This record gives sequence, C-alpha cells and structure tokens, in this order.
Amino acid sequence: MSTLLNSLMTELRRGTLTLAVLSQLRTPQYGYSLVQLLEDSGINIDQSTLYPLLRRLEKQELVTSSWETSESRPRKYYVLSEFGLDVFLQLKREWINNSKELYELLKGDEDKDESD
Amino acid sequence: MNLTEIYIQEVTRRLPEKNRDDIALELRSTIEDMLPDDYNEHDVKEALEKLGNPAALASGYRDQPMHLIGPRYFDVYLSLLKMIIPIAAVIAVISMIAEYFISFGGEEAVMNAVLNMMGEGIWRIIEVGIHVFFWLTVVFVILERTDKGKEQHPLSASLKKWTPEDLKTVIYIPKKKAITKLEVFGYLMWTAIWATFYFYANHLLGIYKDGGEGLEFVMPALNQNVLLHYWPIVIVVIALEIGLALYKLLKGQWTKKVAIFNTIVELFATVVFIVIVSNPNLMNQESIAYMSNLFTTSTKQFEIWLIGGIIIIFVVSAAISIFDGFRKARIR
Repeated sequence: MSTLLNSLMTELRRGTLTLAVLSQLRTPQYGYSLVQLLEDSGINIDQSTLYPLLRRLEKQELVTSSWETSESRPRKYYVLSEFGLDVFLQLKREWINNSKELYELLKGDEDKDESD
Repeated sequence: MNLTEIYIQEVTRRLPEKNRDDIALELRSTIEDMLPDDYNEHDVKEALEKLGNPAALASGYRDQPMHLIGPRYFDVYLSLLKMIIPIAAVIAVISMIAEYFISFGGEEAVMNAVLNMMGEGIWRIIEVGIHVFFWLTVVFVILERTDKGKEQHPLSASLKKWTPEDLKTVIYIPKKKAITKLEVFGYLMWTAIWATFYFYANHLLGIYKDGGEGLEFVMPALNQNVLLHYWPIVIVVIALEIGLALYKLLKGQWTKKVAIFNTIVELFATVVFIVIVSNPNLMNQESIAYMSNLFTTSTKQFEIWLIGGIIIIFVVSAAISIFDGFRKARIR
C-alpha cells in the first residue's frame, strides 16, 4: 500500500518539478542555493534529480549557465533565457488552469462525499 | 580517504568524456555547499546520502536510455523477430539438405546420413536463430540511440506513428483457415523424407528380414536405374512442394490462390507418381518373386495388387488435400 502510494505521489510530483525550478530561475541561482530556495517554499526535491535536470534545461536552451569564480569556490549559476521565460509563462498559465479545473473536480467529489 | 572525490569519480566514470570535467567541478562545489563549515566524515556521508546512488545520478546526466530497446521500438522488434526467425530457419534447413544431396557420394550409409542431417539441421536452426537475434538486436539498439524523435508511443510495423488506416493492412485470419507453422514444417519434412527415399531407394526401400542384430536388408524392392531415370521431373516436384510450403508460410491462411497452387502441386505430383509407379520395369522382379512366395500368390497378381493399392491411396489422399484446401479457402 505505502510503496504504491509513494510511487503514485512521485509520479504526481514529477511534472511539477520543472515548473518549480523554472519559477526560481528568474534570478541566477547555483545548484545548492536553488535547493534551499525550494525547500524554504516547502518543496522537497530529490537532489539527484535536480542537478541533472538543470543540465537538461540548459541543453534545451531554457536556461543559460556561467561559472562564477570570484567567490571562495567556483559555482555554476543558472538563469532563465528569454526563450525559457516565454516557456515558463506558458507553462505557468497551463498549470494554473489545470489546477483550477482539477480543484473543481475534486471539490465536487468532496460535496458528494459529505452528502453521503 | 576522500569520500567526495571517490563519489565524484563513481559518477563521472559513467559519463561521456566531454562532460566529465564540468560535471565533476559542479558536483564538487555543490557537495561543499551542502557541508557545514567545520565538517567531519559523518557530515560528508550525510550529504552524499542525499545525492543518492552514483549510478542513478549518472543516468540522470546521460541522455542515452538505460535500456537496450525501449517501448518505442520493442513491439516492432518483437514482431520482426517472430517473422524472420522461422523464415531464416526454413531457408537454413533447406540449403543444408541441398548441400548434403550435392556432396553425397554414396559411400556413407543412408540412415547415417539422415541422422546426421537431423542433428545438423537442429544445430543450424539454433545457429541461425542466434544470428538473427543478435543482428536484429544490434540494429534496434543503434536505431534507439540515433532516433531523435522523443515521442514515447510504440511504432507500427512500418516505423510510422499508428493511425486507424493501419488496420486495413492487417490481415484478419480466422482460426479455421489459418495455416500453422507446424503444418508448413511438417510438409517440408515430408518432402525431405520422400525425396531421400526416392534418391536412395536401393538402400532404404526393400525387403528386410529379422536377422541376428536387428533388421537386415535383404534386397531392394525397386529398380534404382529405372527409378532415377525420372530425376528431372522429380526435382520439379520437390521444387514445387518447397515453393508451396514457403507460399503457405508467407500467406498464413488458406486463400483461393493457395488452394489453386495446392491443387496444381497435388495433381502434378499424382501424375508423376502414377507414371513412375506404372512403369513395368520399376519393380525388382526378384523381390516380387520373394514376396509372392511369402503370400502364396502369383507374381503378376501380387504386382497388380500392390501397385493398384498404392495408387489408390495416393490419389485419395491427393483428392482429400485438394478438397480440404478449397473448403478452408471458402471459410469467411
């Protein structure tokens, strides 16, 4: 039961991860600062998926990266590209619409559950 | 022991050369970010724990799939495999039998040759199966890795996206008119057996007597010289039967064309058979005398009875086969 529930939850969360990451990259972030930003907002992210995800986003030209060497240790900063911003805004709209519809659907269910 | 460096090595060794340095640098800085200012081995372990299995992390970085053949190609791969292996096996066996016939010098006992052929046939089928499996897999593994289409839908046999139009090219085969592969193999086996008997009748067909050690070949029943006189026409019959078997394998069901082909082959084979059998010089007179002696009938009577019986059996079985073919072809 719990493993099934876990895998279903992971599946549910998987698609939203890209959106969450894109939303935080309007300002340049390096890997660990991004993790902290997301965790502060209550989004628990598997780090072994996050770092490869950042590279994939870069390859898809949604983000650009640059090495910052002036600090105590070199850090790779990622920031949304113009194309990435465009895609992010569309994804965001889509997500909001979707979640509204789903909310209505689930709310209707809840009313029924209560009347039973 | 620097666990961080070992971890980074465990990840990067699984990655393509050109990305290694950059990813190693980023990972190192990330791991250091995760650690407190004054850290000990326990802190390092905790940080690495969060990053998880190096193999999993590496597979995240790689673009290539972690499987040989993915869902996109698996279905096509499997159906091609099922289609090619039986055909390749049949061709391998036929070519092997042909090789045997060409190189057979007659110095070897025929029964031995037949047994050798069976053994070698099984071995060839296995060999061909392994070859087809290996090369087809290699082709699909390469296809999987070079295909830039990121769609995950399985492809149809034409390697295009599925549309309802594809259903029109699928042949609907009702169970009752299907030709099983077993049937085709059985048919080919039968051709091989009677061909062997034809060419080596002087070693196989004849009168056997229970000697001290198993059966003892007393004398051939037929005149081999007369029998082999017909070899070109017999080769035509063999070619027709092999052609029919392959055609049946290809069609997979009884159609009107298959039934007509079957009729032609059966009629031709029957005519050839009757012509050969009714040659008065075919039977070895010695063996006829031996047999009629055994059954206490006259030689002439025995010969007529034997040949007549064989012809009737042959004609009846041919008629049944022809009729059955058309009956199955007519089933809707």
